Amino acid sequence: MRHFMHPRQRSLVIALFALVLALSCARAEAAAPPTTIRLHADRIAFYYDRYLIEADGHVRVTTSDGTTLTGDTFSMDLKLNRFLIASNVTLRSAGGNLSGAAIADFLAFKRVYFVPVLEKPDRWTYENGDFEHPIKGRQMPGDTFYFPDLSNTRLNLTAKSATIGSNAYVRFGDVTSYVFGAPIPLPSFYVYFGTNQDLAQNSLSGANLDLTWNATGNNNSITALHVRRDTENGSYLSLEQHLAGAHEYAVFSVNPGTKFNKFWNLNAADRIGKNFQLNVFEQLYTQQHGLRSPSAAASSTFITLAQALPHSYLQAAIQQTYYNLIGPSSPAIPNHPMQAHLYGASFNQRIFKTPFYEQIHWGFGFNHDTSTGYFNARGLQDYGGVVYTTIWDHSLGYTVYLPEYKFGDKYNPYHTYYFNAVLTAQRLWYTVPHHVNTATTNFSVSRQFSREVSAYVNYNVNNTGDYYNHGGYTPYAPLDANGQPDYGFLAFRGASTLRTATLGVTYSAHPEFSTTLTFDRHKDFPAAVPGVFPLPPTNVIGQYLYSNYLGQPPYDITANVRARVMRHLMIDVQRTYYFNFGTQRWSPQFLVQFTQ
Amino acid sequence: MKHGRLRALAALLGFALLAATAPISITGQLLAYQNGYVFFTTGDGFRLAPDVRILDDATKKPALETPKPRLYARATFDDTGHVVELDLSRKPLPVGPLPDAAEQYAVAASTPFPNPELAPKPASATGGVTETFSGKLVLVTITVQVPADTPFGSEVYITTDTSGWDPKAIAMDRIDALHFRVTRRIASGTILHYLYTRGSLQTEERAENGIDRTPREITLNDADLRAVKDVVYAWADLGIPGGIQAPQPNTIPTPFNPAPFPNLPSGIPTPHPR
Repeated sequence: MRHFMHPRQRSLVIALFALVLALSCARAEAAAPPTTIRLHADRIAFYYDRYLIEADGHVRVTTSDGTTLTGDTFSMDLKLNRFLIASNVTLRSAGGNLSGAAIADFLAFKRVYFVPVLEKPDRWTYENGDFEHPIKGRQMPGDTFYFPDLSNTRLNLTAKSATIGSNAYVRFGDVTSYVFGAPIPLPSFYVYFGTNQDLAQNSLSGANLDLTWNATGNNNSITALHVRRDTENGSYLSLEQHLAGAHEYAVFSVNPGTKFNKFWNLNAADRIGKNFQLNVFEQLYTQQHGLRSPSAAASSTFITLAQALPHSYLQAAIQQTYYNLIGPSSPAIPNHPMQAHLYGASFNQRIFKTPFYEQIHWGFGFNHDTSTGYFNARGLQDYGGVVYTTIWDHSLGYTVYLPEYKFGDKYNPYHTYYFNAVLTAQRLWYTVPHHVNTATTNFSVSRQFSREVSAYVNYNVNNTGDYYNHGGYTPYAPLDANGQPDYGFLAFRGASTLRTATLGVTYSAHPEFSTTLTFDRHKDFPAAVPGVFPLPPTNVIGQYLYSNYLGQPPYDITANVRARVMRHLMIDVQRTYYFNFGTQRWSPQFLVQFTQ
Repeated sequence: MKHGRLRALAALLGFALLAATAPISITGQLLAYQNGYVFFTTGDGFRLAPDVRILDDATKKPALETPKPRLYARATFDDTGHVVELDLSRKPLPVGPLPDAAEQYAVAASTPFPNPELAPKPASATGGVTETFSGKLVLVTITVQVPADTPFGSEVYITTDTSGWDPKAIAMDRIDALHFRVTRRIASGTILHYLYTRGSLQTEERAENGIDRTPREITLNDADLRAVKDVVYAWADLGIPGGIQAPQPNTIPTPFNPAPFPNLPSGIPTPHPR
């Protein structure tokens, strides 16, 4: 019998998943549900850029308090959380059946404004859902019955029905969606517009193209199908299920769902009380056609726990990877390395009444890898004839920084200089008899020259030293082809110093346009060596995973331009020039991203 | 000179008489047309004359469509306050409060009385400033101080509820080693919920106590400028020295995706005991 997953790990995953789901459901029940509005009409139009729903023809609305409304026209601003029904309106509520010209429900304020038409028109206000006692004749807000101006907005979809959770979501039925103007029929479509960030958590990797169909959902969940394309996998489908409560979330996905190599992801978190948090990321990798028995499977579990303390906090992180979950029939080596770390940090404390702040941090670590792995031929480290399969470590670090110190003409903002500095030092001890010191020094001076132009200079030094109690690195010897000392990567003997001087200038004439030039001068030991590595592999979207050189090119300049191209869209283009570092002049790709 | 003044006075009186006899009309957007009344989006209903004319506002010929919500219209009243002509238009016509002359014609069964909820807040209750939310665009400058351990090459972004929590919703500009800034135009009345990230939800900010923080919130009023200064105390993915970093989906090494650095050259010196 094949074991698809290690029994202990399977139990752990199931238990964690069940815990998160149970907590999600429990907390979700405790939270007050939003008012639900069920809308049917001949044509419902949704304008995503302004969160507007406009409907016409045989409008019928039912709200979660049992009130039923009909009319000819419906308009709702989802962000303002109010709706309007106009023309030939009927109201069926606890106050009876009434006819009128228009009714507006300001859900956020629990006020309903009604224009009944009995013998004469009138103006009635209902407060707090009390439809039996209208306040007659009271003045109403001036824009109570206004329709939004739709002249500069774009239609995203039409539908026949919609279920609206106030301040949270809308779920459309019998939908025609417009993608680049082309109508695409869909049975449903879900949009979340609430403030719960946990429903935006995801567990998918990047892709070159992702068309997401949020098929269904409510105040606590979203079910989404993704049509994706990336460089490595081509085109495929992926499924993602989001669950979120007031203090917790769980996101499950399978990606690429229609390919032989699949990743099954679970990303979950729970904030228990104000001072404790649990995060879990579980990834299962399988090689399988559809849902058939996999020919290979591996998994990795990553758990972090955070506990707040007075003036400090603790964080624990555990990672365990199983490279072979199905036994000897898989070509993978049954290796299962593990790491566990406990980390503590103080808050950023001001040092007496000086402008300086400090932070102390410390940690304990456990690292374990018993068999031939993929990064190390034998265990974690082979030192002095001893193969270390377990290495413990502990660390102590201290950071002192000056966030801001003004000098120059402090009363003229365009003649004021700002100075800030950071010094961080840390030592990390291992049970292999050595320790690693790292120290980072950084300081900068900045100035706003005018409303449009600002600039800074920054200098950064990063020192790393790996010191063995006995022996260690062999003395420096390498020479280059000309017999001269080679200060490249072969000169590395456990110590490195990386220095970077940066000049950055930003020109921002307008909130919708800015450009930045950044010039870097790097001086490293060991010196950067161009072309020493072959080209690195790329990730699934075709980006190089890391540089194919050691250290930083001596000089580079980066230009970035950001400009608004549409009402809700800015384009950001960036590229770097390396001044002929080896054969490299330009960064491999333009970096193009879209922001708001 | 005297005759000239008399002529001017006579002309003024003539205009005044003409104005007094000119029919009263209003423009607005239609809310409903039913039960012998026409309603505008001000909420006001006006009685229709039995022989009301429905015309096209541009051509003044009989309209091809019936009055319905969302259409714009010009209503002309007779002396009794009945609407005798309704000119329809798909092009926007001015919409606003009723002129005093037409207000008397609005029909309501109950006597109107003020709504205390709509009374403006006294300035003393809002820090000496009368707070209004008209929806006008307000320049908002957000400056953030990042933690001292933020890698210098990092980009900082703002993720907002209005972007569906896109982790790269608003890109910020570095202004020195520890500060980033951005200026945007945002409509007043917006209640913005936001957090800072370094480009993904895995690199989002955390509260000073190491726990996920609730989104920050600002409510924008009609001030011309708004400056916001924030401090980020920690990033979710940083903190454990020599330790493990939060993984990104699909980046965990497996036998089939084995190596972070498979192309390391040989010859890198390794330590040995003496």
